[in-house]
Amino acid sequence: MTDRDYFKLAVLIYGASMVYSVFLWRKGFREDNRVNYFVLLGAFLFHTVAMVKRGFSLDRCPVTNLYEATTFIGWTMVAAYLALGVWSRLRFLGAFLSPIIFSIGVFALMPALDKHHGPNPEFFIPGWQNSLHAALFALAYGAFGLSSGAGLMYLTQEHDLKLHKVRAIFSLMPPIQRLEVVTGRLLAVGFALLTAALGVSMLYLKRSAGVYLADDPKILWAFFVWFLYLGLLLMRWRFAQGGRRFAWGAVGGFAFVLLTFWGTNLLSPIHNP
Amino acid sequence: MSIVVIGLSHHTSPVEMRERFAFAEATLPEALHKLRQSGAADEAVILSTCNRVEIYAATNLQAKDAFEALQKFLFDHHSFRGQINGEIYTYGEPQSLEHLFKVACGLDSMVLGETEILGQLKKAYDLALQHKHTGARLNKAFQRAFNVAKQIRTETNIQRGNISVASVAVDLAEKIFEKLADRQVMVIGAGDTSEKTARALLSRGAHSVIVSNRSHERAVALAKELEGRAVHFDEWAVEFPNIDIIISSTAAPHYILDRKKLEPLLGLRESRPLLLIDIAVPRDIDPEVNELENVYLFNVDHLQAAAESNLQQRKEEIARCEAIIRDKAQGLLTRPAGAPYPVGKPLAYGRDS
Repeated sequence: MTDRDYFKLAVLIYGASMVYSVFLWRKGFREDNRVNYFVLLGAFLFHTVAMVKRGFSLDRCPVTNLYEATTFIGWTMVAAYLALGVWSRLRFLGAFLSPIIFSIGVFALMPALDKHHGPNPEFFIPGWQNSLHAALFALAYGAFGLSSGAGLMYLTQEHDLKLHKVRAIFSLMPPIQRLEVVTGRLLAVGFALLTAALGVSMLYLKRSAGVYLADDPKILWAFFVWFLYLGLLLMRWRFAQGGRRFAWGAVGGFAFVLLTFWGTNLLSPIHNP
Repeated sequence: MSIVVIGLSHHTSPVEMRERFAFAEATLPEALHKLRQSGAADEAVILSTCNRVEIYAATNLQAKDAFEALQKFLFDHHSFRGQINGEIYTYGEPQSLEHLFKVACGLDSMVLGETEILGQLKKAYDLALQHKHTGARLNKAFQRAFNVAKQIRTETNIQRGNISVASVAVDLAEKIFEKLADRQVMVIGAGDTSEKTARALLSRGAHSVIVSNRSHERAVALAKELEGRAVHFDEWAVEFPNIDIIISSTAAPHYILDRKKLEPLLGLRESRPLLLIDIAVPRDIDPEVNELENVYLFNVDHLQAAAESNLQQRKEEIARCEAIIRDKAQGLLTRPAGAPYPVGKPLAYGRDS
């Protein structure tokens, strides 16, 4: 089996988790969600095998094209979820994450994304810095993805409370205040990782091209995303704008990242030679 | 030796009748001693609560003779000379064991699935055990009953979800706030339900209570009972920035809190959620405030709907509980596995709760 076959298997299981999540949703999240946790764990194992195989074949961190970057983002999201899911009350996050992970997986499997192009020789310097910058970006987007999942949980529970739905009381979901804290912390972690990723990237660009910044769509986009999340965090910390608006911000922010990630990558001469 | 039960409960008799046959706790050892001396039972446990009086006995007598002897003891002990008309029920095996298990699980209680009865049953058994009125038969049956109660609590939803308005309000608070320990509660209008709700919140760890009422004396009195403090009715809004939960139950004929009043106060709260529980009729809080961000308003109908839904869920669990109970009762009896039970009285569950 090739690494892509393992990844296809993982995506299939993520899809099964998504279907199961619909049932959990319809049942009002009344029962402990261990089944979905273990389904995602199973998918994660295949996902890991796919990434390890690709990594060994490239002899470096597998983030050299859009397929690899996308799978890496999905992988970090599931890994972080599995760690958070140790706390039973946060296990329901899986029900909100599996549709996102499944969508990311299907997107990653589109054939045009897995081009075996090498790095742009004009900007490439062999060594760990290139892998580090890509890995940090993937980790940051993974944290934003997870934060959007927690935000979705918040919005669901808040909606049920506002409409006085009985399932708001019956569900085993955490209180909305905790969901808000989890959303905020994941977003802050993502922001710190994104800052580090941008810093490493600037140093790398200085070494390879002699400049800290370049007029490249993906670099400009990454800075835009950085400002977007900075705005969200400032809104929360400085102006106490928590609650529903913040949760919508976390969900909307990641939706923007997902929808524009592919396009900016295609437009970038540095990243898509 | 078989186990039989005789008794009367809230299902079969009014309180006037139950209190006529109730045993005071201090008299139980003597009553048990007299019961065994009478020859009606070799082993016995007497359960006497506000909702039931029951004698569980292990006896070598035929069931019919045992019921007669136990009823005679009950009447003689309480000097009862009146007529009974179906208030007293009797169960022989296996229904006696099933009934014991049902009682232990709260399935026969007025409030379906409640747990207080298990403590009362344990206490009754401990007393009989301590005074050496139980033996191998009843010891095994009661130990099994306690195990079945534990199993049913963990494996079914019979005790899940609160079925009182006050407890549902606490459940709601726990769906909104991360911890109740730091939460400040305000009671506006010192009614009975608001007091119960405040007490329920305090019992689950709420930080403290502020009481405001048109009659300040009444506010002071309730605040004292709740170990909180009282504020004058026209000053309650001053406390607002620090309040997380408001329970309102005044007799005011109009809204005492509306959007116009609440909106400027929310700016002082830094996006902290605010839970408003309006249990007044007519309502105290304008429903429009629920549209404000971070404000969650529930009125008495919302709370009752949740309590009803919980009760329905408990009722739906009865069949599962019944299956477990029948299985465990069967396991306790020394009959071949799979052999049918003799035809007896049907199971009767907490239908009036």
